[in-house]
Amino acid sequence: MTIKAGPFYFSESHEWISKKADNIFYMGISDFAQSELGDVVYITLPEAGKIYQKGEKIGEIESVKSVSEIYAPVSLKILSINSNLNDSSELINTDPHGSGYIAMVEPLNSSDVLDLMDKNTYESFVSSNHA
Amino acid sequence: METEINKKTPLYDEHIKLGAKIVPFAGFLMPLYYKSITFEHLNVRNNSGLFDISHMGEVIIKGKDAGAFVDYVFTADVSKIEPDEIIYSLILNEKGGIIDDVTIFKFSENEFMAVVNAANTQKDFSWLHYQQSEFQKKGYDVSIENVSEKIGLISVQGPKSRDIIYPLVDEIVKIGGCGFFDFKFKPKPVIKLKHFEFSCILFKDINVEALISRSGYTGEFGFEIFVPAEKTAILWDYLLKHGYLSNLVPVGLGARDTLRFEAALPLYGHELDETINPYDAGLEKYLSGTKNFIGKEVLKNIKSKEKRLIFFKLSGKQIPRHMQKILDENLKPIGCIASGTYSPSNKFPIGSAYISDTNVNPSSLKNFFIDIRGNFEKAEVVSPPFHKNVKKIV
Repeated sequence: MTIKAGPFYFSESHEWISKKADNIFYMGISDFAQSELGDVVYITLPEAGKIYQKGEKIGEIESVKSVSEIYAPVSLKILSINSNLNDSSELINTDPHGSGYIAMVEPLNSSDVLDLMDKNTYESFVSSNHA
Repeated sequence: METEINKKTPLYDEHIKLGAKIVPFAGFLMPLYYKSITFEHLNVRNNSGLFDISHMGEVIIKGKDAGAFVDYVFTADVSKIEPDEIIYSLILNEKGGIIDDVTIFKFSENEFMAVVNAANTQKDFSWLHYQQSEFQKKGYDVSIENVSEKIGLISVQGPKSRDIIYPLVDEIVKIGGCGFFDFKFKPKPVIKLKHFEFSCILFKDINVEALISRSGYTGEFGFEIFVPAEKTAILWDYLLKHGYLSNLVPVGLGARDTLRFEAALPLYGHELDETINPYDAGLEKYLSGTKNFIGKEVLKNIKSKEKRLIFFKLSGKQIPRHMQKILDENLKPIGCIASGTYSPSNKFPIGSAYISDTNVNPSSLKNFFIDIRGNFEKAEVVSPPFHKNVKKIV
């Protein structure tokens, strides 16, 4: 099964993952997640080169009001982190699906990505769970 | 199952229309923010902000002996202020612990209004009600009424507040009316009001009479406006519509907290609670030296402070949170965080803490650590407020 580059796939814990090129995916947190958190002031990023299992905590996002954990949406290896977030954590609020991405990753089994929700499914998941 | 029912203020529907993120707070569904906490915060510092604070409680205290009653249940010299003045005070229990911090408005020698924290309205009212019955047993004439649900409360804060309010109001210079507030004095023109004074005004186009005070919880120039609950939404819309030239925006509880903390104003449940006495909290100037009040006897025997409140800033980015431990340079626990937040004006985390280790001298304490979820973050003791001398970005 091949995954097209471009579309976003979402986890129930509100992370997204999207294919950029062969074996290279971007991941971040959803626009809904950033709007729930409010102003992000600090982020603990995962370690480049490290492997995380699906659902494992890879980092923390702190907003003015709260702290949330970031989980691996699928089992993956971190290729590189978005170090811009160290000084400009507000990118998570302003561009969560773009320059506010968290890391470049390689899924251990890229077909796992297809088990996640596509954009429409995620949107109805959000509206039915957080009405 | 969540069984607690959260109340709505008269402005709940307005918050929904404005797209607020709603959170339960003190038994009410309140806006946390509309756009973002930091945006709303900076807008209040630079321009102006509109707050729904209708969740706060109001208790009317009336009767021939109301003056004696307020002097006994509140720590400050309440009865001595002038009608049209407000005073900040504490309510203490018999052990000297803080039941609440309140502001009291004097209408006449026989009538006062206490404005209390939303989370404490019921507790305060029960306490005052008990004290009232004790007074009545002794033949005193005093009665109290909880009018919290009849009153809507809107706050306009920020340097441009006056530009918003002055053009919209007519003075009411007659004695007597002002909605259901019984003014026994001639109200001052609103432009003459000094800090902690109040008056009665008429909002012209909407024909709403209101009690207006020069007061707030942000460290900025501002007003708090008391109106009958059913008029609150009309006034809110009117102010938002006419305030846009002064960049008036609605502001939620998130920025209310960051604003009050930068100004080093205490918050009940954080800097204050029943285990903390006024000396611990640095509020001894609100204790009258000339009259008796509940808790006074016990406080006389308190020679040294059991806990000491300090303020600090952090060099890192992680935000300290309520109840996290503070540690000395040898990582020995010496106290606990009262409030911790991010300072939008300074762009770094700030906080307050109670030092409970009596061997530590706060005035010689310079650096210490905060255990933020296992990370020991370095903090530096500073003197508040945090919002003065910050370069303003317009």
